[in-house]
Order: sequence, then C-alpha cells, then structure tokens
Amino acid sequence: MLLDYDRLGWLRAALAGFTALITAFLLLPVVFIVLLSFGSSRWLAFPPPGWTLKWYQELLADPAWVEAALTSAKIAAMAAILAVLIGLLASFSLVRGEFRGRQLLRGLLLTPMVLPVVVFAIAIYAFFLRIGLAGTTIGFVIAHTILALPFAIIPIATALEGFDKSIEDAAIVCGASPLQARLRITLPSIRIGIFSAAIFSFLASWDEVVVAIFMASPTLQTLPVKIWGSLRADLSPVVAAASSLLVGLTLCLMIVTALLRRRLSR
Amino acid sequence: MTRPFLSIRAVRKAFGAFVAVHDVTIDVPKGEFLTFLGPSGSGKSTTLYAIAGFQDPTSGDVLLEDKSLLSVPSHKRNIGMVFQRYTLFPHLSVAENVAFPLRVRRRPDAEVKRKVADMLALVRLEKFADRYPGALSGGQQQRVALARALAYDPPILLMDEPLSALDKKLRQEIQAEIRRIHRETGVTVLYVTHDQEEALHLSDRIALFKEGRIEQIGTGEDLYLRPASEFVAGFIGNSNFLPAEHLETENGVALVRLADGSLVKGVKATQALGRGQKARLMVRPEAFRLTPMEGNASLAVEIVDTAFFGDRRRVVARTGSGDEIDVRPTSDTAEPGGTDAASGRQIFFDPTTAFLFPV
Repeated sequence: MLLDYDRLGWLRAALAGFTALITAFLLLPVVFIVLLSFGSSRWLAFPPPGWTLKWYQELLADPAWVEAALTSAKIAAMAAILAVLIGLLASFSLVRGEFRGRQLLRGLLLTPMVLPVVVFAIAIYAFFLRIGLAGTTIGFVIAHTILALPFAIIPIATALEGFDKSIEDAAIVCGASPLQARLRITLPSIRIGIFSAAIFSFLASWDEVVVAIFMASPTLQTLPVKIWGSLRADLSPVVAAASSLLVGLTLCLMIVTALLRRRLSR
Repeated sequence: MTRPFLSIRAVRKAFGAFVAVHDVTIDVPKGEFLTFLGPSGSGKSTTLYAIAGFQDPTSGDVLLEDKSLLSVPSHKRNIGMVFQRYTLFPHLSVAENVAFPLRVRRRPDAEVKRKVADMLALVRLEKFADRYPGALSGGQQQRVALARALAYDPPILLMDEPLSALDKKLRQEIQAEIRRIHRETGVTVLYVTHDQEEALHLSDRIALFKEGRIEQIGTGEDLYLRPASEFVAGFIGNSNFLPAEHLETENGVALVRLADGSLVKGVKATQALGRGQKARLMVRPEAFRLTPMEGNASLAVEIVDTAFFGDRRRVVARTGSGDEIDVRPTSDTAEPGGTDAASGRQIFFDPTTAFLFPV
C-alpha cells in the first residue's frame, strides 16, 4: 500500500488530531443545540445558568408543534413507502433489464440527488401551482418521493446486483412461478437493501426543508418548516427542543438500521 | 420399437449467427445416468438449459414420455435441478429449503415434514435441518440442493457442473454420494461436466460434446477403449499421438510407418485411409511396457525422466523423431532393466490397443 497507517510515525498523531477537529466541527453545533434545549436561560445563554425540561413541556403543549411533527412523520412515511415500491420496480429494470437507454434512465432517476434542491423546488412548486397541488399533502408526498427515490434505488439496486439470479432460477425450477419466486425468495434475500432504502427515504423527507418551505401552507407545515418559521419569528429555546427531537429521532433510526443490518447479515 | 423415456430431438440453439448447439439428438432410457461431457463452450450446458426451460431452442423438440416439454414453462416442468453455483435460499433454514418445492405445490404439512426428513436422511444431513445456508460448507450446500431437487420426486434430475466449485477430495466424496443416491432413487440424471474423471466415475453413458455437436456417445469403456475420433481419444484419458504414415489396410487392420521409420502392423483403423496418407497413431500411456510380450510392437526411445507414484511409474521418453511420449507402466513391470534416464532403450505396446486417426 502507498500509505501504510502503521508506518506513518509522527504523521499518525497529526492525522488523528485533524480527524478529531473535523469531527468536532461537524458535531459541536448539534451538541450545543441539545445542551441549550435543556438550559434554563430564555436567551440561549451558554453555559446555561440551570437545567430544565420546561421547553420540552412547552413544545409538547403547543398543538402547532405537535401537528407539525405528525405531518412530517405522515409525509415521510408515505414518501418512504412510495419510494421503496417505485425503487424496487426501477431497480429490477435497471439491474436485470437489457434495453437501450438503461444508463440514461439510471441517470435520470438519480438526478434529484445531484440537482440543486432549490432548482427542483422552484420547478415543482411552479408546476404544482398550475395543477393545484401546491400546499396539499399529496403534493408534498409526490415531491418528497421524487427526492427520496435515489436513496431508495441505490441500496436496493446494490443488493439486487449482489444477489445471484441462479437462486431465483432454482426457485422457478422448484415449481415457483416467476412472480412467486421474486416475492418469496428474491425480496427476502435483498431485505437489507429494502430496509435501508425505507429508512433513508424516510429521513430524506423527514429533514427536508427547501422543498417543504415552498410547498407549505399556513395549515400544512412540516417540522423543519415550523422550526425555520419560529427561528425567524423569535429565538426561543423551544426551537432548540424541537431540533433536538428531530436529531434524536434521526439518530434512533440510524442506530436501529445499524443493529438490524448486523442481525440480518449474519 | 420401445419409446424412449426422454427424447432430445434435433435440438438446435443459435445466438444470432453463432450456433451453440447443432441438431443434438439423444434418447435417454428411464433411470439412466447420462453425462454431457465437453470443454467449455461445447454446447453441453445450453442443451441442459433447453431441457430446464431457461433457453428456448431455435428448433427441435424435447419429449418426456412422448409429450413435448417446450411449451411448458420452467416452473411447471416438474424437473429437478442442481446448479453450478450455490443456490440455496439464504433466508430459509436447510429444512425449509428442502420443503420449498413442496410448499409451492401446497402439499399437506404432515407430508412435507415426512418428505423433508426422508430427503435429509438421503443426503445424510439430518443434523443440519435447522442450520442456515451461510453456516454450511460448499459440499453440504450442494447436498442440500440435491435434497431440494429430489424432494418432489421429479422424473428427471438435471445437474449443471454441481461440483466445480469444490476441491478435489470433496468432489470425489460427493461423487460417491451422488452414485449412491442415483442407485437408491433410480431417478434419471442428466449431468453436465468438463471433468472426464467425474464423467467416467458417475455415468452409465457419456455424450462427448465438441463445438455444439455430439462427437461420440457411449459407455465410459466405449469412449476410452473405442474412441471414434482423435478428439475423443485426447479428451478421455491420457493419450500419446505419434505422427505416422498409413501404408495399407486389410480387414480393418492397418500397417503404418512411424516418423522414425519403424513399422507397426496390426493397428486398428477407425476410418478408411488412403495409401501414404498422413495419420496419427494413438497409444495410451499405460499400454506401454518395458518388457516385450507376444505380438508387441517396439519403439526405440531415449528415457528422459522417470518418477515413481506408488502404483505407477511415470516415464517421459523421446522417440527417434523427437516426439516426447508419456509412458506409465505399472510398477512391477517397470523393474526389469530399470527406468533410469538412458538412451537406446526399447519400449513395447500391443498394436491392437492403438488407434490410427487421419490428420
């Protein structure tokens, strides 16, 4: 190997220090927000003069916050289900299909990941305004499904590529119809990919803010939109509490994913 | 005329301009173990896939008990198959893998349970019923695959190089298992391999494929002792091919002149050859002797190298015309005169075990 970690000498310490700095840079803001959400200062003073749970009480007592969280969860769940279903069908055709323009189709389906979100947001907002879907749950779900699709297709297609098609053929020789073979053998075999796809597409929608700001109406707000709105109105520790909950749920989902992947891949 | 159990009739498979299988015709009696042997790309697997239904032949037909299989989709052909790759269902236990074909056939639970137990006993893996495929060795996985393929009592079992991923010792062990299972179940087996030893060990008959055609079909002894062509002689067993010139043939017995000028009479001619036609004389390495017997032909050689293998010696000899030949006399016949490297030696062979092929 060109760079052998064991033979780096003093560079090893430098590398470790550099890594620690970057990690701190990425994590510290999150840590501060979580700490501030438990601080008793109304003005987000740091270090906090005392510790309290009252911002969380205030958050949970406010129906606008609770509703925003439920809306977020509902939209993210629907977007995740749709993205996984479409992602499954798309992956089969991208991995197994032999047709002209397959690479083009793959590129098209993955575009939402590389396209600047604001460009996508403006485009779909303008389109939805015309057909009357702006500010509706359906509009929200469609827009987020499109954004989540790459996150569903990548893990499913990867799992399908790693699955030996001979196993499916064996199921068919055993007497299973091609559809039965796919449902009973292929899908369970690539379940880690499907599961990752569900989690990642849920998260893609759950913490999405740009498209959500365009799509939101006064009566339909997701949690990130509500946070954004509250920040502009008044800087209250309730926002820190809401943010902490958002981070907490994301973290939980990531941990569950990691644990399940480990168990399933045994 | 008795109708054959399985009849492969003029099956042809073309991929564009490339013809992978040229009008292959074989009749297989019930209970036979027939092996398709041949180098890779010789059309043996393609023929098997046509029977399994993974590939539609361009023309021809496959009949099982007089009924065409070609219009039946793969999953309704009721054929058993073991693949080259490991194809156990990774998320199901060994027992559930074997049960799968019975479950899709909606057999009652009690029957499924009994059959699974029988099949696991057949492949001697009763203790592994609750394991998952990931916890099995390659050999065990292929035995479970065999149990799964036989669980629904298919009339035909197809095996596509099932042992090619295993090491040599394990291959031989499982070959013995396959022989026993074939004997115990009486199932008709079509087996594909490129390994001639495996084919000889397992088969009732061997169909040797070359470039999409069957070069020769017969028992292992037929192919070894009576090869129809130089290709067969070269593929089955070890062979020496000595450049020769055909002088004359009388009653199927030929007189030839070898490249070093020596004459050999009493050779079997496989095909009619013209006077003076260039040919190759095939002699098996074990047909050579170091001491002459009645009627033997002799060959003046220089012994280049010799090695001892317990039951055999392997001697590398060079003829007067510079051709290296492989000589494997049994150990006891090797003793007189020794086999140390030396020039001016004579070795001997029975000309009736040699074959003459046109070039």
